[in-house]
Amino acid sequence: MASMDTISRNLMLDSLKEYAKRRIPYDLLRELDEKNEFPAEILKEMYQHDVLGLHLLMVPAEYGGVSGGTFDIYRVCELLARIDLGIATGVFATFLGTDPLNVGGTEEQKEKWLRRIASENLLVAYGATEADAGSDLVNLRTRAEHVVKNGKIVGYNVTGNKQWISNGGVADLYTILALAPGGPSWFLVERNMEGFSPNKHEDKHGIRLSNTAGLSLDNVYVPAENLIGMEEGKGLLQAQAVFGYTRVMVAAFGLGAGEEALEQAIRYSQQRIQGGGPLSDKQGYTHKLLVPNYVRMEGARSYIEYTSQRLDSGEHGLQTEGAIAKYGASEWGNKAADDAIQALGGYGYTKDFPVEKIKRDIKICCIYEGTSEVLEMTIYRGRWQEHLKSRGRYYLDMADRLDQVHAEEPKAGAHAAALALRALGAVLEECRVQKLTRHQHVTFKLGKLICAAETAAIFSTAAAAKKYSETVRFDREGWQAMARVFAREAALNTALEGLALVQGAAETPGNLADAVNIEAVQAEQKGMIADMDLVAAKLKQTFKAK
Amino acid sequence: MHIAVMIKQVPDSTEVKINLETGTLIRAGVPSILNPYDHFALEAALELKKKHDFKVTVISMGPPQAKSVVQLALALGADEGVLLSDMAFAGSDTWATSYALAKGIKKIGKVDIIFSGMQAIDGDTAQTGPGVAQQLGIPQITFCEHVDVDGRRVLARKQIDGGHELQEARPPVLLTMIMGKDYAPKHPSFLAVSGSLKKPFHVWSAADIGAEPQYLGLKGSPTQVNKIYPPPQREKAAMFSGSGQESVEKILEIMKREHFTE
Repeated sequence: MASMDTISRNLMLDSLKEYAKRRIPYDLLRELDEKNEFPAEILKEMYQHDVLGLHLLMVPAEYGGVSGGTFDIYRVCELLARIDLGIATGVFATFLGTDPLNVGGTEEQKEKWLRRIASENLLVAYGATEADAGSDLVNLRTRAEHVVKNGKIVGYNVTGNKQWISNGGVADLYTILALAPGGPSWFLVERNMEGFSPNKHEDKHGIRLSNTAGLSLDNVYVPAENLIGMEEGKGLLQAQAVFGYTRVMVAAFGLGAGEEALEQAIRYSQQRIQGGGPLSDKQGYTHKLLVPNYVRMEGARSYIEYTSQRLDSGEHGLQTEGAIAKYGASEWGNKAADDAIQALGGYGYTKDFPVEKIKRDIKICCIYEGTSEVLEMTIYRGRWQEHLKSRGRYYLDMADRLDQVHAEEPKAGAHAAALALRALGAVLEECRVQKLTRHQHVTFKLGKLICAAETAAIFSTAAAAKKYSETVRFDREGWQAMARVFAREAALNTALEGLALVQGAAETPGNLADAVNIEAVQAEQKGMIADMDLVAAKLKQTFKAK
Repeated sequence: MHIAVMIKQVPDSTEVKINLETGTLIRAGVPSILNPYDHFALEAALELKKKHDFKVTVISMGPPQAKSVVQLALALGADEGVLLSDMAFAGSDTWATSYALAKGIKKIGKVDIIFSGMQAIDGDTAQTGPGVAQQLGIPQITFCEHVDVDGRRVLARKQIDGGHELQEARPPVLLTMIMGKDYAPKHPSFLAVSGSLKKPFHVWSAADIGAEPQYLGLKGSPTQVNKIYPPPQREKAAMFSGSGQESVEKILEIMKREHFTE
């Protein structure tokens, strides 16, 4: 679905922001977090059509929704994460649970179920994970056996256990993945069906406002018309088809929660006087705890937007892009939240300040919808194929495009990004020649380097563009300085870590130091401190102390 | 009855920052909102619509991005939206703005009640509402807290020093609204925002409303802004505690040091 116009999107975001300001103060969040309690009333109210109707974003207009596109959903997810990642997860679970229907449902099924989800404000849960089947869904144990009447399959008896299901204990409707005789398939299971029962609500490290529970299915009879797509064996394809898109949502969570933590730290740093001046004026503080983190989050934002726009323009899949968006945003967001606690010192370590909760909450982004390690593998696999298919040209061609960008706009860090891409291309090629990808560690590490180098390329391209996205809250000077800082870091890490990786695994040393152009990468670091000074000043100006 | 509501997009900050070199407002980074007084006036009009089944048309003047406040009004329940947008309007003072809005309202057609906020939080002049009434030659009731309609009678509760006054008028009449301190503006649901795109929305230029160019923009404005500057900040007062005798001695000491006394 294409995204809506900017004005409509911003009006919706304003409504959500105002609702949260009025109804979800930090004191309430803190209390619910402590009690490990799911705010059923708030979720229900947010779904009410005359209050917000948040879930309608996922439902096409023809079934009573508002047809949100990926960009719209990214923006709403980011804002939800700024409010509370537990509540965000509760909403996300409905989005996720609706996905198999959106992707694989027949017209009649969509008409019936999407309309019901929209009009009855159903909370939905997505039931894929099991004790032995997380990202690796081939180990699926839940079975769906045919129930035959007069020679015709009239339904299925579903038996098995699901684990870590968001909204598991509170949903009205569940999309359950089970192994049918024809292969893995999605089934629509209603809460009141006989033999279905949710288990206890988990006691988690973070996102404690999100209900997480296991599900027991003991010979649950599901009518044949509840088989999504009316065809067995399509379940894994249907699940994979939306990964690009669902991972953008979790990426938006990492972005929202990470930036929120940093913005609170930036505001705090202007009020906290140490050694005769505010912390915000001290490089030892800002250039370690605030600037690099904020720059990485803005890099993640540009990659999320790049992927969202491609999905909105009708491209399908984009699994590698979704993985890069999510991996970067959640790993950098997690680090940012950790540093936000450090930035607030002792205060940050107490529950009186929200950064403590954000840090616990955001960790989930590195785990659900594909752990960071699964994503490292996914990213590596996707791009390794591109590297081989293009005979090593994939990143070199991308670097050439960045040279073009640099020629037109030399201030956006495109030159450093091109250095990062060429270094990456050289590292991949050396890995191919020396057959180093037989080491799993090498492949995962490559996934990490790919994420940083590609994000640098996308960030620099966005910062060089004549017109900026509606989401950029900095002036051109500030945002370009951020892109330069990001690209320099990416170039340095790609070259140094790539070099170390190859040297650690190879039996014969090659001349990779020349190939990654280490001298040029080091020379490119010139001006880094001045840029970080500029970014620190812009952060202070944009997020003033309240 | 047909109600027109005049609304304005303003920067979301009562703490206006000024560029001291150019004397202009710094708007970058400050999000825009619907002027809260206008938001209140709109809600008052929508309440009448609900109660009496009136039609509500909103009208605003501003750059193309001011469309967002008109769409917000449509999402909140207004039936039709008009945005007066034209480079010819740029730089208009309250007189020229009143002239253009009055022309726009005439083009809307027969309007019985016109609502506006008492003032906008950026300029704080409170002149545009009364200016439009004057341009249209219709009566006005300013500073209204509450408005109701009974048949052809418009009943307004107007705030005055130390109390309020009940006033009555026959349409057409213009009302400017004030709001209570604890007023929380309503915001539309996602469905309402989506639905607002289907409502009639018009962008009219100066030519569309038949406005004469010499009465518009900077050159049509009798008010010329010479300079904008923030008032000088007051220096911090020194506070003393202790007995009256001790405090007076401290004050005398300072007055002596600063040469107020010998």
